[in-house]
This record gives sequence, structure tokens and C-alpha cells, in this order.
Amino acid sequence: MKVHVNTDMCEGHGKCEMAAPEVFKLGPDDVSIVLMPGELTGEIAAKAERAIRLCPRQAISAT
Amino acid sequence: MTAAERSPMTLADINMNDEEMFERGESHEAFRILRKKDRVHWTPATEHVKGYWNLTKYEDVLFVSRHPELFSSERGIVAFEPINEEDFNAAANGNGKMLITMDPPRHVKLRRLVNKGFTPRAVNEMEPHIREITTTILDKIAKKGSADFVLDVASQIPLAVICGMMGVEEKDWALMFQLTNKVLGPGDPEYQTDVPEEQRGTPEAAMLTGNMGTMQMFGFFAQMLMARRTERRDDLISLLCESDIEGEALSDEDILWFCFLLILAGNETTRNAMTGGLLALCENPDEKAKLQADMSLLPSAVEEVLRYVSPVMHMARNVMQDTEINGHPVKKDERVVMWYPAINRDEDVFPEAERFDITRSPNEHLAFGIGEHFCLGAGFARLELKVLYEELFRRFPDIELAGPAERLRSTFIGGIKHLPVKFTPEA
Repeated sequence: MKVHVNTDMCEGHGKCEMAAPEVFKLGPDDVSIVLMPGELTGEIAAKAERAIRLCPRQAISAT
Repeated sequence: MTAAERSPMTLADINMNDEEMFERGESHEAFRILRKKDRVHWTPATEHVKGYWNLTKYEDVLFVSRHPELFSSERGIVAFEPINEEDFNAAANGNGKMLITMDPPRHVKLRRLVNKGFTPRAVNEMEPHIREITTTILDKIAKKGSADFVLDVASQIPLAVICGMMGVEEKDWALMFQLTNKVLGPGDPEYQTDVPEEQRGTPEAAMLTGNMGTMQMFGFFAQMLMARRTERRDDLISLLCESDIEGEALSDEDILWFCFLLILAGNETTRNAMTGGLLALCENPDEKAKLQADMSLLPSAVEEVLRYVSPVMHMARNVMQDTEINGHPVKKDERVVMWYPAINRDEDVFPEAERFDITRSPNEHLAFGIGEHFCLGAGFARLELKVLYEELFRRFPDIELAGPAERLRSTFIGGIKHLPVKFTPEA
């Protein structure tokens, strides 16, 4: 799967970075940046799925 | 009659319109039955109000929250929907005009005007200021050795924070407190001060109290808005005066509804989380002792307070097209009500859900909602709770209850109006 952050929705809560620090990082403007835009698998994908679930604004989607 | 004296509640006994059930503190008994026996439960219409679906399972509320296109906020966000046209219009006045009663795409645009002031980073920068406010308020009770925790402490901190942000002067804070109580607790006779005593406690008194509170609030902010249009200050109202959405300035009405929402949401909810949290800690002395022995548990304790108390008890949505919730059909134009205290004690998500456990992990409660309408002020609520309990237990380590909690008569706000406490006074 690949992840995408809707920057209109993101408000910098940082739950994604806590759940999957390899994949997400809060940028200087408090909006989450996707560090791994490519295909995610295995343990990293599981962490990213947790990030999707925890995002308070439901700003992360997977394709 | 106490819960022990009467026969156990059954599904047939449950009436979610019954504000007095909430006032008596029996709502969790109803929620337990609904989660188990009727997770999508219909409350029929009465002579005065329309019927609605009640959701009490975590998964179902998650589904509704994630689909604002199916479940709209624009036609009202509370269970209460009067049938009488005049009352309906009064209740529906703010629909579509505040963030909380707005759908995407306008919701996203309006929220972006203010959300930079509410990000975790922005909130954390406020910590010294919030600690100063908290200290000043605790100073006032320190030598007394007793207090009404709600009136003297829990109401005062969030009120000072939100009024400070908005630019409401200190002389008007007491008025903001009174008006908030009228708007959010209109069914409670204690707040029906505009109604003659013998008429308090009736549905008419509740309508009048809510309407009076709203009108007075608007009058207050209209004056403030005029003043800020003439002379800007460094506050949120001035910021809103200068804001636009795609080149279109906010109207006076837009700004007044914004103020109305921020002042209410900013002071009532956190007040009840603070009070409900202290009550839960005092009723669970082992948990209180555990926290006081190791204050590094506080962030986790704050989350447990939020889960356990869930001070905003419900949000409603209107169904936009025929659909299903967990296989249960709901029809276009019906109303669904999400009960947060119920879903935050869902055993399928939280093991031993009825237990107050300050070390609970994971604790993915939805006390702030989730998705499009996730509480804008969540960061402030968490920080205000953390600072309060740090300062409270540092200065009054032996604080305990000195009488029963008096609950608010409401199906919307899980409020506590009075909580007597005592402690060893500071020398």
C-alpha cells in the first residue's frame, strides 16, 4: 500500500509520527510529511495502518 | 429512590430523552444495556420532539464520524429536535453557520482560518500562561481549606484561557459563565433564572432559558465586534475581522456565531472534564495514590479522565441518503445520535471498560470525536487538565470530597454543577 496525507485536513497532532516514525514526520509548518511515498509492506505497512486509524482528523489515506 | 432500591433497568425502561436519568447518574446503566441488546436503538418521537437513532458501539460511531458525506452536521448536532415550528426555528438558528454545524467543503476552509492557534505546537507555547492562570485561581482557595471545586476552580481556568484568547475582559468573565450555563444547560432549573421560580423545570422554561442565553451572548459579542472593527487588538475577534475565505470577508453574523461556539466549547467542556476527573480520582483512591506517587503517569491519567468522563455526551448527525450502520438500515432525513460516554466504555475496545485505570494503554478513546469535526480545542483541554492536576496535587495533596457531586440536568453535557472539596489549608 501507499499512503497519502490530505494537507487540508492535517492539523499537526503528530499521532502518525508516533505510530510510524519511518513513514511520517511533522514538518516545520505543523503538517505531516510522508517520508516513504512508495509501496509499504510488512511491519512498516502495519505501523502506517495504525497511523491511519489514530489520525484525529482522519487525514491519511491508503491506496 | 437509589439505584439499589429500585428494580434493575431493562431495555423497555430506557428513554434517552429523560434528562433526569442523566442528572441521577444512571446513564451508564442504560448505555450498558443498549451496547449489549440494541446497538442501533430508536427513541420514538414524543408530542414535543422528533425521534432518533442512538449509537452506543465504538465501531458504529467511528463509521458515522468518518463519513460526513452520509451523515451531515448542517441540520443540527444535538438529539433535541422540536416538532413545534417556532421552537424548531429557534433551535435551528445556528445550523450551517458554525464550524460544529457545517459540512465540508466550507467547514475545512473556515476551520483553517483559526486552526494554527490550536495545533499542539501552538498550545504548548501557552503552558507558562496557563500555569500562571491556574496558580492565581488556586491561590484564592489556598487558605480556606475548602471550596466548591466547580465554581472556584474548574470553571475558572478554562474561562480565563478562552476569554483571554478571544479578548473578553475580566470584568465580563462571570457573565460569560452565566450565559454559557443558560445555553448549554437550559433544562436545569438552577440556570433558569429568567423564569419565575414556580415555572422552572418545564420544557417551556428550558426553551426560554436557552433562547435568552443565546440572545444575550449575541448582544455581548455584537458590541465587542463593533469595538474591534473600529480599533483592532491582539485577539481572536480582531483576527476574524481581518479574515476572508477565498477573498470574501467573514460577515458580522459569521463572526458572531464563531464567538458563540468558541466561548461555549472553550469553557463548559474542560470544566466538566476537570471536575469529573477529580471525582473519579477521589472515588478510586488507589488510582489517586498511584498518580500522586508518580506524577509521570499524568499524561496517561488525563487520557483516562477524558475516556471515563466524556463530558460532551453526544453529537447528532442527519442521514443524507438511505444507508446502513452495522447492517442496520437508517433512512434519509433521520437523525443519528453518537453517545461518547457509551462508546468509550465499549468492552470490545477497552478491556474492563467500566474500571477507572490511569495506566490504561492503549487508550484510543473518542472523547474529542474523530475526523472532520475532531475537537479543535483538544490540545488546550489536555494541557489545562495536566497543569491543573500538577498544581492541585502539589499544593493540596490531601484534597478529598466534602459532599456529593450535583449533576447537570442535561442529555448533552455530562456536567457537574457543584463539587464540595476539602484539604489542609496553606499556611
